[in-house]
Formats: sequence, C-alpha cells, structure tokens
Amino acid sequence: MKQQDNALETKALNLYYGSAQALIDVDIQIPKNQVTALIGPSGCGKSTLLRCFNRMNDLIPDCTISGSILYHGEEITGRSTDVVELRKRIGMVFQQPNPFPKSIYENVIYGPKVHGVRDRKQLDEIAEKSLKGAAIWEEVRERLHDAARGLSGGQQQRLCIARTLSVGPDIILMDEPCSALDPIATAKIENLITELKDEYTVVIVTHNMQQAARVSDYTGFMYMGRLIEFDSTPVIFEKPKEELTENYITGRFG
Amino acid sequence: MHRMNDHSSSLSSPAGISRQKKESVITGIWLATALVAVITIILILGFLLKEGLPALLEIGLREFLFEEIWTPTSVEPSYGILSLIIGTILVTLGAMVIAVPLGIGSAIFIAEIAPRSVREAIKPAIELLAGIPSVVYGFFGLVVLTNWLRITFDLSSGATWLAGSIILGIMALPTIISVSEDAITSVPQEYRAASLALGATRWQTIIGVIIPAALSGITAAVILGMGRAIGETMAVLMVTGNAAIIPDPLWNILSPVRTLTATLGIEMGEVAIGSTHYHALFAIALVLLLIALIINLSATVILGRIRNAQMGTGKTPFLSHEVKGKVKTVCLWLACILLIGVLTVISGLSGALLLIGAIGAYLLIQRIITPKITEKIAFGMITAATGLVLFTLFVILFDIVSNGLSAITWEFLTEGPRDLGRSGGIFPAIVGTIYLVVGAIAIALPIGVGAAIYLNEYTIEGKMTKIIRTGNDLLNGTPSIVFGLFGFAFLVIFVGLGVSLLAGQITLALMVLPTIIRTSEEALKSVPDSLRHGSLALGATRWHTISRVVLPAAAPGILTGTILSIGRAAGETAPLLFTAVVFSKRFLPDSVFEPVMALPYHLFILATNVPGADTQKYGTALVLLILVTGIYAVAVLMRKHAQNTVRW
Repeated sequence: MKQQDNALETKALNLYYGSAQALIDVDIQIPKNQVTALIGPSGCGKSTLLRCFNRMNDLIPDCTISGSILYHGEEITGRSTDVVELRKRIGMVFQQPNPFPKSIYENVIYGPKVHGVRDRKQLDEIAEKSLKGAAIWEEVRERLHDAARGLSGGQQQRLCIARTLSVGPDIILMDEPCSALDPIATAKIENLITELKDEYTVVIVTHNMQQAARVSDYTGFMYMGRLIEFDSTPVIFEKPKEELTENYITGRFG
Repeated sequence: MHRMNDHSSSLSSPAGISRQKKESVITGIWLATALVAVITIILILGFLLKEGLPALLEIGLREFLFEEIWTPTSVEPSYGILSLIIGTILVTLGAMVIAVPLGIGSAIFIAEIAPRSVREAIKPAIELLAGIPSVVYGFFGLVVLTNWLRITFDLSSGATWLAGSIILGIMALPTIISVSEDAITSVPQEYRAASLALGATRWQTIIGVIIPAALSGITAAVILGMGRAIGETMAVLMVTGNAAIIPDPLWNILSPVRTLTATLGIEMGEVAIGSTHYHALFAIALVLLLIALIINLSATVILGRIRNAQMGTGKTPFLSHEVKGKVKTVCLWLACILLIGVLTVISGLSGALLLIGAIGAYLLIQRIITPKITEKIAFGMITAATGLVLFTLFVILFDIVSNGLSAITWEFLTEGPRDLGRSGGIFPAIVGTIYLVVGAIAIALPIGVGAAIYLNEYTIEGKMTKIIRTGNDLLNGTPSIVFGLFGFAFLVIFVGLGVSLLAGQITLALMVLPTIIRTSEEALKSVPDSLRHGSLALGATRWHTISRVVLPAAAPGILTGTILSIGRAAGETAPLLFTAVVFSKRFLPDSVFEPVMALPYHLFILATNVPGADTQKYGTALVLLILVTGIYAVAVLMRKHAQNTVRW
C-alpha cells in the first residue's frame, strides 16, 4: 500500500483520559475510498480512535494525546490545525440519530449556512443533492419543512448522513450508526454505506461483526486500547493471524 | 402483617377491609390539602370581585380603564387608571430591555462558556441575587440609584421610570438567568456534538442549535421574569416617584411614573373602608391579577406550542413555511423602521444615522470577518454582560454591608426602637419576622407536602390533577400585593382576625404554598419507582410505603423548597402591609391576635418616612440581608450536599 493512498494514518498514537490510557501505540492506515471497519469489545478504544480523526476528543476535558495523526499526509494533532476546516472535511455520524430540533430542510442546510453559503437556490441544490446521496430524498421531498424529529429512527439516521454530506467532506466517520435501529433500517444504512465509498472514505465503528463483514473492505480489531490486527476484511474474518482476533471473531469472548 | 407463616386467613378478611378504609381516609386528607391552592385562588378572585365590582359599577368599566386621571382623594375624585396601567407596562418593558439581554447572556456564559470552576462560583452568586428581599433592592434604589440618576442627568428627582426599570431589571435577572441556564444545560449534548462535527464554531453552535433548542425554556424564563417585574410592589414604589401621569413624550424615561402595584401599596393603608376609593383599589388589584394570570397562562401555552413544533408531534403548523418566512422578514423590517423612528425622535437625526450606520457596518462586517472573529466578539460581549451582572451584585452588597456594619451593636439587636426608629434597636422587628415566618411555614408545609403527595402518589394524571396544577400555577403567579389585599379583605375584615400576627402568617403561608407544593412534588418525582415497588411487593400499604420509604428519600428536596420559602417569606413586605405589621412597637406581641413589627416593613418605613435615621436604615437592611441570604445559602449548600451524597 502506497503512502498517498491513505486517507488517514496514525503513528504511535497514545491517548489518555486524565491518567487512564485509552489508546496505546496505535498505528493504523485507513485506505482512501474504501470502507474500513473498527471492531472490538466495549471499551476497547475503537470509538475513541474514531473521535481522534475529527478532533472531537478536544471537547473532553483533560484528554491528552501523543503521537501523530496524518490526514492525506498532513499532521492534524497540533494546535495550529484549523479544527473547523478539518471537521468540514471529515464528517461524523453518531450512534444515536441526532437531528437538530428543526425542520428536515433546515437540518441539511445547517452546515452549508455555517460555512457561509447564503444563496437560497444554492442551498436548495445542496439539500436535494445531500438528501439524494443519503437515499432519503424520495421519502422526504414532499415534507421538507416538517420537523426532523418526527421521522422514524432509520430516516433520522439517514438524514444525519445527508447532513454530513452537505458540507462536502471526503471522509465520513460512523460511530455505531445502526446500533439504535431495527434490522430493516439497518439494511438501508448498510446499502448506503457501500454506495458511499465511490465518493467517500468511510470509517465505521461497529459492535456487530456480521455488519463489519458485510459492509467493509478492511477491518481493524482493537482490544484494550491496542490495535491488535488490521487487514482486508476477508483475511480478518477467515484466517486472522492473531489468536485474540480469532477468539473474538468466533465469539469466545467479548 | 407479621403472620408470615400463617396463610389460613382469607384474602378478604375484616382486617383487610379496615385497612382499605384507612387508606381511603388518608387519600381524602391528601385530596383536601391539594384543594387548598385551588380554593385559595377562587377565594382571591371572589373577594377581589366582591370588593371591586361596586367601584366598577359606580365608575363604569370604560371610564375606569381608559380615563387618564387618577385623583381619588380630591374634592371631585376621578378614578381613571390608564396612566397606572401604562406606568406598569412601561416600567416592566424597560426592565425587560435591561434584563433579557443581560440575563440570557449570563445564562449562555454560565452554561456554555465558563470553565467549570468559574461556573461553580457564579451560580450560587446568582442565587444569592434572587434571595435579596425586594425592599432591600428598593432601599438601595432609593438611597444610591436615584441619587446617582439625579446628579448624572441633572434632575430635580432621580425617582423615575428609568430607576424603576433598572431596579426591576436587576430583580428579574436571577429568574431569567437560572431558568434559561437550566434550559440551555438540558439541551442534549448530542446536538452540540453534531454541530461541531459539521465544522461549526462554538458560537455558531450556540446561536444556530442550542438557543433554538432551548427556546421554550428561555421564553418561559423571560415570561417568568416579566411576571415577577409586573407583580413587584415595594421596590417600584420606592424608586419610581409615583406620579400618576403618562410620561410626556411617551418615551421620556426620566419621567416619574406610577404602577398599579405601587398605587395599592401607597393608598390601601389610608383608605376609608367601604368608600368608592376602597372598592376602586380592589378593582385595580383585579386588573393586576388578570394581567399577571394572562402572562402566566400564555407562558404555558407558548411552551407547549414550541415543544410540539420542535418534536414534530403537533398538528400542522398554523402558518405554512413560506408564509412564516415572509412574516418574519416583514416583522424585521417593521422593527427596524420603528427603532429608527424612535431614535430619530429621541436624539434627533444623528442618532438614527448612527444606528443605520451601525447596522450597515454589522451586515458588511458579517460578510467579511471569519466566524472565528465573530465568535471572539460574541464571547467577549457575553462575558462582559455576566461581569456587569456580578458587578451590580457586588455594588449592592458592598454598599449595604459597608454602611450597615457600623450600626450593628448589641443594643441595636436587643432593644426596641425609640424616637421613630432613629435610636434604639430592632429587636421586636427581628422577633416579629421570626414569628411570622415560623407560623407561615407551620401552616404551609403540611398542606404543601400533603398536596404534593396527593398529586404524585395517589392519583394518575387526569382532570382533577390538571385543575389542581392550574390552581397552583395561578396562585404562584399572583402578585404579592394581591395577597395583601386578599388577606385584608378576607382574614382581617371578613373572618375578623384584625390586623394581627395570625392574619399575616396565613397570608404568607398561602403565598409560599405553590413553591412548597412544586418543590416537594419534584422531590417525590425524583424518588425512583423501583423503591416504591420494592416496598409494595412486600405487602406494605400505600401510606406505609410513602411514610417509611418515599418521604425519607425525598426529604432533602422538600427541605430545600421549604428553606427557599422561608427566605421568601422573611423578605416579603407587600402581603403584610395591611394584614399584620405596625411600625414602632416597643413590645413583643402577647398573642397571635396582636399586630407585630417586621424587618422588611421597618426598613421600608425608615427609608421612606423617617428622615435622619441613616445608620438605622443601613443596619436594618444589613440584618435583613444577612437573615434572608443566610437562609438561602443554607438551602444552596443543602442541595449541593444532597446532590453529592444521594445516588440511586
């Protein structure tokens, strides 16, 4: 794998919440325009790692990191990094669908407005494009000005994905995006994820191993703050090199 | 209950039936306590109508409401209250202009910007601000603020609309700040995360997501603050000059004004019972009560509307999206034109041009400067607003403490007043206040806790609870001076208690009842159901469960509410004016049927009617301040302790 093909890369990444270490010497390379899944038992650090990529850990008091994180080869851990610009390029979808208590339309144009787009026509175009990109346009086109929180859970989550697409990121981080959804809604989101990789790099944290196997191209297995193994998804699920990984995959713990 | 191994008795035994009877008696008692608030508000309305209607019939409703001249004591009396209504509206509006931006700004600062350590320090300070009795605010306004205004603006008297609005604004601040702050804090963290993850700055997140999401709570905060301002009597009475005129021109903020409440406070004590003037005052109280109740009810309605709209549970919105957008634009333009017009009239063309320039510059700058710089400017302004609020608190406390300390001597605290309070002490006033408060709490606590138990433990939500809750809300929104008039008409005259300690205690009890009910109910609600189920599953009766399991668990919350009520009762003046207090009484009362002295009233009379008692004034203010804020401080500490120790 060549260096420039990596959308994200960490080197010797350590992260502490106060004095508790949550990530230990993590080296990972997230390939561009692929879906990468992070799996592992609860508390293994997979969400923490995900939140490093768009600096959401900045919001947690006394969270410190060492090591380096590269976004297309550019260091993003420093103080000089423009976090606002970074988050514009690296979008995030959360575990619980969290649309704002506004209308569907206002949810999708919130991001562009924040970044200075004021022209109504342009906003309308962005809204339509993003909602289409998140495969929810047909369901909501007739009621764009209804409250977003009146949508079903699965629709809300796709709206959140549309909201993420609206600011034109090239990477989308997903933190267990289906854990609050039923199987049908989950299937729709999974289909969407495979479609998204044409244009975007997707990193998804999931508890659900079948989901990782279904949607991802690469899989990283994490345990107790360490990245135990990282490889293409078929390798991880069929012939993992590490015994820990095998035990987890086969359900012997976790 | 203890025959654990004896299963021979039938499940419908006589013991069981008598137990059920006992339960239903207990339920009846709680229902009765819950109805006290409803009955009180009906009685208040009834007595105001009974005493006020004769005046309305004699004067005519139109004359009464729309006639400008209020001269009830002249040879040819005129009973028009238009100038009083306008005075009330103007003072309240002015107070809101001051309190809303400062209050919401401070709330944002506390909830979103301040580091945790700063927040922990500011919150109690704001609660302290809420604990300062209104008569102390009035006193500060009278001796410091009006004086300052007089010198600054070169007026003959500083007692003006502006002074009233400043003092009322400060008084409304704690309500606005703490309710808004609660609303902002309760916005789910995930909204913040979502907005920040889209690359929004913190300020964009606050303005674009958090404030809109907290809008219902913030609206409620503003309306509650407005309710407090409209119902306030003593402070307004002391600083507005009380001339029953409509300011000329209408926006002359340096004109004296007179409010509805002040009119009641000033004239009720000197009016001949049964005269037209007397009945007219009750009609004023009726108007005041209706205004206050309308404000309170509209708060409830607005809250519900906004919540439904955001959660998508409401029916189709009243206005379609496109129409709403247009209405918004039109309103914005109208407001701009109005503002510019007003400024032109007040300060000439230059002011208007300045404003237009400022708006233009803002719009221009908004396009040019980055969101980060906007954020810096906004945070700076918000921090400054909070600083101003804290500075005000500091100035008030410093003035009273520094001037009052020298008055505090052993003699001052232990002797009766001499020479109209110019020498001697305030011992009877301290004892009188304690008597009043202890009596009021002794009456209100059992009723309030009983009502809360009924509402939370004995019924499911239905028509009955709705009526009780509405009654409670209405009672809570009733201005304190209205309680005073009601106490006079009902307890002093109708029941025949006379101006007495007992009449004062009952009036105060009715006034703090809604607070006790509400805080007790919240305390009961916070006890998890699993505790109740655990007890009931062991075969305990409902009452047994409540008295042994639920009440002990809820005790800290109930106690906090009670202490807050004690603080409020100790600082109140208006309800006591015509029901319980006298000025300058050398001795303590022998029975509950005698009138008493009270600290707030003593301070009020010293400040307004006794020249040359400066040390005593400040001394009394300080003692009152220490007493009331001390009580509040205990409440704050207890709540903190309970929060830290109770874990479910």
